[in-house]
Amino acid sequence: MGILSLITFLPLLGALIILVLPREQVKAVRAVGVLATLASLAASLYALSQFHPGDAAAGQLPMQFLEKFSWIPSFDVNYFMGVDGLSLPIILLTTLLCFLAAVYSASIEERVKEFYFWFLILEVGMLGVFCALDLFLFYVFWELTLVPMYFLIGVWGGPKKEFAAIKFFLFTLFGSVFMLLGILALYFQSNPHTFDMLELMKASAGFSREFQIIVFIGFWLGLAVKVPAFPFHTWLPLAHVEAPTPVSVILAGVLLKMGVYGLLRISYSILPLGYEWFLPGLIVIAVINIVYGAFCAMAQDDMKKMVAYSSVNHMGYCLLGMAAVSDAGFNGAALQMVNHGLITGALFFLVGVIYDRAHTRDINAFGGLGAKLPVYAGLMAMTCFASLGLPGLCGFISEFLCFLGAFPAWKLWTTVSVIGILVTAAFFLRMMQKVFLGPLNEKWKDLPDMSARELVAVSPLAVLMLLFGIWPRLVLDLMNPTLKVMTGMFPTMFQLVRP
Amino acid sequence: MDGLRLLLPELGLSVMALLLMACDLFFDARRGKVLMGFGFVAAGVALGSLGLAYNAPDTYQGLGTLWAVDPLGLYFKAIILAATVFALMLSVDYKSPDAIRHPGSFTALVLLSAVGQMFLVSATDLLLIFLSLELVSISSFVLVGYERRDLKSSEGAMKYFLFGAFSSAILVYGISLMYAALGGTSLIDIAPAMDRGVSTSFVVGCVMLAVGFGFKVSMAPFHFWVADAYEGAPTPVTAYLSIAPKAAALAVMLRVFTHLIPHTSLDLQGIFAFMAFLTMTVGNLTALFQTNVKRLLAYSSIAQAGYLLIGFVTGDTIGREGLLMYAMVYVFMNLGAFTVAMAVGNEDGYELEAFDGLARRSLGLALLMAFFLLSLAGIPPMAGFIGKFALFAAAVKGGYWFLAVTAVLNSVVSVYYYMSVVYHMFFKAPRTLEPARTDVLMTGTLAVAAVGVLVIGLYPEPFLAAAKLSADMLPAVSSHP
Repeated sequence: MGILSLITFLPLLGALIILVLPREQVKAVRAVGVLATLASLAASLYALSQFHPGDAAAGQLPMQFLEKFSWIPSFDVNYFMGVDGLSLPIILLTTLLCFLAAVYSASIEERVKEFYFWFLILEVGMLGVFCALDLFLFYVFWELTLVPMYFLIGVWGGPKKEFAAIKFFLFTLFGSVFMLLGILALYFQSNPHTFDMLELMKASAGFSREFQIIVFIGFWLGLAVKVPAFPFHTWLPLAHVEAPTPVSVILAGVLLKMGVYGLLRISYSILPLGYEWFLPGLIVIAVINIVYGAFCAMAQDDMKKMVAYSSVNHMGYCLLGMAAVSDAGFNGAALQMVNHGLITGALFFLVGVIYDRAHTRDINAFGGLGAKLPVYAGLMAMTCFASLGLPGLCGFISEFLCFLGAFPAWKLWTTVSVIGILVTAAFFLRMMQKVFLGPLNEKWKDLPDMSARELVAVSPLAVLMLLFGIWPRLVLDLMNPTLKVMTGMFPTMFQLVRP
Repeated sequence: MDGLRLLLPELGLSVMALLLMACDLFFDARRGKVLMGFGFVAAGVALGSLGLAYNAPDTYQGLGTLWAVDPLGLYFKAIILAATVFALMLSVDYKSPDAIRHPGSFTALVLLSAVGQMFLVSATDLLLIFLSLELVSISSFVLVGYERRDLKSSEGAMKYFLFGAFSSAILVYGISLMYAALGGTSLIDIAPAMDRGVSTSFVVGCVMLAVGFGFKVSMAPFHFWVADAYEGAPTPVTAYLSIAPKAAALAVMLRVFTHLIPHTSLDLQGIFAFMAFLTMTVGNLTALFQTNVKRLLAYSSIAQAGYLLIGFVTGDTIGREGLLMYAMVYVFMNLGAFTVAMAVGNEDGYELEAFDGLARRSLGLALLMAFFLLSLAGIPPMAGFIGKFALFAAAVKGGYWFLAVTAVLNSVVSVYYYMSVVYHMFFKAPRTLEPARTDVLMTGTLAVAAVGVLVIGLYPEPFLAAAKLSADMLPAVSSHP
């Protein structure tokens, strides 16, 4: 068994063990849950140590740790896994966030066994999506994330959890069935019929423009819901707010990346003509996401909802970078995926911390907590600054790269989207002012500061935010060769955005 | 009487049915359960004997006077017999022993209905088609109304009977028109008759034949009897009716419309494509509003018939394989869902509220139900996905984009009502903490269904290969250029 299968299926092993444990053994269930995610994290770190970023000059995606077995020969479906510089950082992000969320989930008291079971299945699905190089396999893993997420939101969520759960399920499924049709269309169009992504990338030169555009639209419906790109974002605030804290972290930190990853891996690489056709639309949607998302966040009093809308805004930066189709833009988009995972993951943890204590997330209900909870306030301030793009923290680098990439191609639109940065700064500062500064609200004078469990969950993210802010090459060196190959894949296309 | 050896399983089962009916006189309701045991063992033996036909195709496959025993027929016979075995196993544990009086007659009727279906999937003659369809129908009417003291059961039987009689009339009228056009009832080698040109009476006859089959498949707009009949019937009968007669009617449609009647003479595909669309849409949209799990599953089975029809519409090899594949998957997942429903419904009835908090009463049952429902909805990695995948692939390949798009949208809609059951099982608080009662045979059925859904979902290759091998029909295609 290869390392990628190990990373992907270790959580499944944990889930199966949990299934046979008696439900009263809460401690054992938690331990297995945390250990399974830890094992997966360790395996992914091992993969990182063995990974060679590759050389852009070779002109080939540096796919590594390939595993290929025939699975359904009738349809030429293979169990085909592999990673390159685009997927490996996201896999690491996934295993890390899952581990931290599993640790944080120790606060879940109700139906613990079921919780960890679904949580681990969810991790399997997410990791599989990023490892799969066969479209059929990709789709199976993609859908595998739906059901656990439905239960995680629906059972352990907030007041409107049932509605949030089914809305999430239906929205995502609505999109992904069109992706399925797209996958089938690609299969029957290729000759010989194949689901192999690498083969399809080679075969794409033979697909007509009309065909690519139609299939691109199918994929866009599936992927845009996940990103979420305007106007398919309406499930997100609801799901993020209603989900329990660790699940919000996974939703924002990892699930949204599946959409962006799919756009780069499939839509761009296999359907370049469709992607080219869609570029003007993509930049508009990116700007709407950035500006509209930021204004929506500004309007929220609920901290969790604010963070949720800030995700819409931040994923807009990813789309902005992708609309550039340049080295800087793609690097920015890929780095933004990782950074957003770290930052928003931390933000949701921190909002959860205060909610667990005060049972409210209303910004106006607090005040003066800065002196009362110094550790919490410090971490929160740092995360907010990272999110609004303060130089020295990781968010700045990726946003800067996205803008740098997009500006030469889309001067007007990039300028408009700067409004988004301003508003982002405004709503984060407003939140910090209302919660941490001013006179202490007497109601909260007995609030304890962060516990060890919470610190374990948040501090690794804070350290990484600082580290990647100062020395972004840690990540960029991993990604850059892959992304350079990708931008160089179609030298004669994309005249629209190339000088 | 040349091909009589081809009919050994049917003959054996018929004899068994008559014996059971006689035995019934000597058993009371409680001890009579043993007769059901004889019934499902007999069906199991018949199922096993199909293996003979696979192993010795020269002896046990071939063309009889009115029937053809070929891979396609055998495949559907296996599906029918599997459904029969499981339906009878479930009948043993259905409600209290008094619910099904005269278990011997009950078993005999189930077996006779199975025999009728087995004839139907092999029939190559209009007369045999009609006779076997009547055998299926009449025994089904009685089975639906078997709980005589339950008003719903009687109501369902009455509606089913009226609709069924009506459809038979249409069917037999269609057959008479076709007789006029063909000068005979045999459908084998009718190509020469076609060469003289297609007469109006032949076309009208074909359409009426399709309508008659449509009633059995529960094709919209001929589906109105389904919900009441399914709700009223004893649950094992519902499970049985939702699987076996549907599969049999689809098989005979495949044989008649894509094989025996040459494509060149009559092109009904546009109509059938529309029917497939209508069937799944009507089934799904109506299922959204159901609050009774049996009715919900009834409408879901209408929608499932719509998906199955996609494979029939495209009619080519891949469509046919998709249909065969999905029919097999459908047996396991639908059977599983009905079994869990019965475990809950035996004591608490079938309203959605009865499923409240099942996850806390019996987590295993709730997980299994969710598993079967997700499979019905076509979510991977369950087997239902593989089946739908094959069918949708056929639609895409055949260029039926409208059908493909409406089919996937229907899958999305279906998730909503399947999930409403899950919602009650997992999100609602239970009214009692007592676990739902399951007996040995029910547990066995559940285990088989779950393993089937899981294995086909994860490793579908052998099953796809079996479907591929079974897509052959007699007389060989080559006789119609």
